[in-house]
Amino acid sequence: MSLTKTNKKFKWALDFSQKSRTSASDLPSPPGYSQATNANYSESSKDTDSNLLLIKKLWDVALGPLKQVPMNLFIMYMAGNSISIFPIMMVGMLIVRPIKALFATQSTFKMVEGTQAAGQKFVYFIGNVVNILLALYKCQSMGLLPTHSSDWLAFEEPLTRVEHIGGGISML
Amino acid sequence: MCIYEDQIGKFDWRQTYVGRIKFAQFDTVSTAKKLIVATEENVLAALHLKTGQVVWRHVFESASTGNIQLLHVSDKIVTVSGSNPYLVRGWDSGTGVLLWEWSLTLQDNDNADFSEWWVQQGLLVHMLPAFNSHIEVTMYNLLTGHNRGATSKLPAPWINEGCVLTPPFYSCISGNVGAQRLLSVDVTSNAVQIISKPLFDYISLDIFEGNLRPLDANSAVPGFIIDDKKIVLIKNNDFELLSVNVADESASASIIDGSNGALLLQAWTDKILGFSLIAHNVNSGQEVSELKCSDRNLRIPEAEIAAVMCTRTAKEHHACRILVNGADDAIHLMQQGGRVLWTREEALANVVAAEFVDLPVSETEATIESEFDQKEGSIWAAFSRRLQTQFQQLQTLLHSFQHRDRMVENSNSNNLVRDYFNLHKILVLVTDVGKIIGMDNLSGEILWRRYEPSLDAESVGVFTRRTAWHPPYDAYLTIVGKHEETGNGLIISLNPINGELVGERFLQLDARLLQCAMLHRADEEKLHGLAVLYEDENIQVFPVSSERLVKDMYIYVADRETAKVQGYALKYDGKSAYAQKIWSVALGGAGAAGHRIVAAAARSRLERTHSPGRALADRSVLYKYTNPNLVLFLTEGPDPVHKEVVRAVAVDVASGAVAAATSHRRARALPLAVHADNCLAYLYRSDKHRRLEIATMELYEGKERWLPAGAAFSSFASERAPAVQRQAYILPAAATAAAPTVTERSLTDRHRQAYNLPAGTTAAAPTITERSLTDRHVLLALTTGAIVEIPWAFLDPRRPAMPTAEQREEGLLPYVPELPLPADAVLNYNRTVHRVSALYTHPAGIESTSLVLATGLGECARIVRECTRTPLASSSPVPCSPPASVSVCAQCASIHVPRRHRVHQPRTRHRPR
Repeated sequence: MSLTKTNKKFKWALDFSQKSRTSASDLPSPPGYSQATNANYSESSKDTDSNLLLIKKLWDVALGPLKQVPMNLFIMYMAGNSISIFPIMMVGMLIVRPIKALFATQSTFKMVEGTQAAGQKFVYFIGNVVNILLALYKCQSMGLLPTHSSDWLAFEEPLTRVEHIGGGISML
Repeated sequence: MCIYEDQIGKFDWRQTYVGRIKFAQFDTVSTAKKLIVATEENVLAALHLKTGQVVWRHVFESASTGNIQLLHVSDKIVTVSGSNPYLVRGWDSGTGVLLWEWSLTLQDNDNADFSEWWVQQGLLVHMLPAFNSHIEVTMYNLLTGHNRGATSKLPAPWINEGCVLTPPFYSCISGNVGAQRLLSVDVTSNAVQIISKPLFDYISLDIFEGNLRPLDANSAVPGFIIDDKKIVLIKNNDFELLSVNVADESASASIIDGSNGALLLQAWTDKILGFSLIAHNVNSGQEVSELKCSDRNLRIPEAEIAAVMCTRTAKEHHACRILVNGADDAIHLMQQGGRVLWTREEALANVVAAEFVDLPVSETEATIESEFDQKEGSIWAAFSRRLQTQFQQLQTLLHSFQHRDRMVENSNSNNLVRDYFNLHKILVLVTDVGKIIGMDNLSGEILWRRYEPSLDAESVGVFTRRTAWHPPYDAYLTIVGKHEETGNGLIISLNPINGELVGERFLQLDARLLQCAMLHRADEEKLHGLAVLYEDENIQVFPVSSERLVKDMYIYVADRETAKVQGYALKYDGKSAYAQKIWSVALGGAGAAGHRIVAAAARSRLERTHSPGRALADRSVLYKYTNPNLVLFLTEGPDPVHKEVVRAVAVDVASGAVAAATSHRRARALPLAVHADNCLAYLYRSDKHRRLEIATMELYEGKERWLPAGAAFSSFASERAPAVQRQAYILPAAATAAAPTVTERSLTDRHRQAYNLPAGTTAAAPTITERSLTDRHVLLALTTGAIVEIPWAFLDPRRPAMPTAEQREEGLLPYVPELPLPADAVLNYNRTVHRVSALYTHPAGIESTSLVLATGLGECARIVRECTRTPLASSSPVPCSPPASVSVCAQCASIHVPRRHRVHQPRTRHRPR
């Protein structure tokens, strides 16, 4: 009575004194323990789980360059089109980083095999190319690319002539 | 372009000339002995007696108002200059300061040119002969100009044009043939005393030609020479025939006061024997041996004694200074015995043409070049050649160690080799009297001279037909002019390095020449042929073997007085070369008469343009219209409405097409036109605004080029009419083209602008550099004696009135009509160069440096000019390429030059900050 009283009184208290009376098999499972899940757990399922995680992680890496695009656009916008040291540095970073990343593609995806590796590489590549194109567009808008005819003017050969002239005021 | 104080004279020199001597007198009064000269160029100058340098100098007006009529030197110098009104001026002989001045106007203006002047006892005597009637004599106080009494008229019906004045006597030969009398009158004496003697007392009348000439050089005793044979003096109001005959027909004679009475001095030049000088005692007729000289090597054509001064030395010897003037305008100061103390080449005051000629490379460099020239041969042959040349070099090195002292001596005379930057050249100067002078351009030293009396240098062409860049062959230069007497063509070919005649040597042609041209293709000996166009429109090619090289050659002939220009095509038909007239243009217009060509400016033969266009702010290219066959003609003529008009017409002289034209109303042209690349500039005097203006034009093809890059320009190929801007300046002159290929073609896109100049200008030239990458400057010689350089950025016809942002970014200055002439733009800093007649420019072997020669009536100067490019105002493409790196190197090098020079400078001077 008193126990029930205490049970009732202390709602969350465990009664360890009844242990001796009940058999071991009657023991309730610990809180949060499920017998069903315990039975089905196997090593192989654990393995596929980490693989999925890696793929997920690698997709993150592959999509990284593409995710940088909005940031880069913002930086480009803020840097302006004037030619001074900071914009030049930024443009330099913009163009150097994706190129570096492209060269490092192999090492980035070193431990990857599997069905999605090609796709990831491709996406990674595309992302970097997009970044390079953005940087080139920035260079273009800053006027750093020799795309006009005036940029190639100095390479031109001097004028040659077909006709040659002589003469002057009459000597008579 | 500023220079530091220690750079004065480093890159430039100036030589001062006075012109052909008219009067000369020794200044014996002042302590520093000088020679006072008055010249045909209206210059009064004092020359240092020991060195011949100009002590002081006054340059009078070049027109007849500056003509010097009289030079009288006593304690002060008196000159009479001008031509009615005359100016009588007194000068201090030591400093050249003007002491007094008064003017004199003669009533009788028509005969004023026959006036004779001299100074006698502090009075200025003016004598005006009226032939066959009387002599008017007026005397004035020299200092104040007060007329002492009225003009006296001496009745003298016997005077004629052949009379001579030997102050104060006026002498004539008059009378009927066979009964001539020698008459003379002292025009200043109060009582008229006429000395009259029959002529046959003095000379045999059978061979008499009626020639009378006075003695030269302010003769101490009045006297004259009859018929180049007998000398007659006037002493004690009587004639006295000298026992000494005239030694040579051309001899110049003068009487001087010697130690033992008067001496007669005679000087002449014989074709074989050279210059001779003899002296005789007037009283005894004995020859004075110590003054005698005869020099085979001294060539003074038509020697004339200009002034003589003799002093007595302790041993009763004569110490004489004799100033001899030659027909080649050179003056020589000699002492007794014929030793020449100094010589002045006054012919250089009148240079008509100048040419810069490259020097050959030094011997060692030549051997190196010849080693690498030989391309053929196996590797072993090349190796053995290499060893051989290195052995030779070692030998020469050892040789130079052995003979070091001798080498130093020789180096002064043998240093005519090209330097690293090709700044060292030879100047070949053709002068008005026909003297050809070779000059070192770094020092101004005269290396060789040739006098060609038969060369009429009025319109002379100088062609460097072979440079010294082709080692086995010598340089070859040809001067084409006219013969003095016949007017026929005259060709003088010489080696410009040493002045020796080569090739055609001295060749007189049989007919008169219209024009001449140098062929553009060289023969096997690297010699460019010379084509001459005769009056009958035939051509002849020198040498004949070059005839087959005549191809794509055109000659234009502009007639100055009628303003007609004709074009000829030179062709070769397999047998001979001939000229075909293909076009003619009347620049004055079809009906308008009286137009004349003032100036014609073609591009320099040396100009090689390496910039095809101009980069704009939006990074597109404005392509230049670089037509190498374009010639700018400047004409002026009367106009029924606007009084006078000046027209500037740019004509393609190969096809006869007019590329651009403008006209200026109420203006008179100056003979100054500048043409370089696509830039044209000319000067005119605007009568409307009463000022000097410089008009500039630039020709552009537009933003699209007509020809593909690298294609050869042809005047006949560019018939495709591009859609470019047209301006409303259409030349009314009918371009009558005979060639069927000439069609109406569009005018090129052009810009024009006019600027004002704050000073008078006498000569103009553009700067030329090796590749035309450096900014172009226009050099103007001003009447103030300054040579200023104006950057083309200031003269740019595209300068807008209100520049837009783009134009500002491009570097175009806003249009301001007045041109600035800052003092630091004066090339010759404080070394003024008076009356510059022409400016000659030549590229050095280094970009950004141009050699400039200014030839003036008074002076002659040359400046190595270093200009740097300013990035904003560059007319050539913005650099980022091999040519650009060249220009950067060149800048470093041009800074390097002064440094190199400074090493050789023996003393170091403080460099001002």
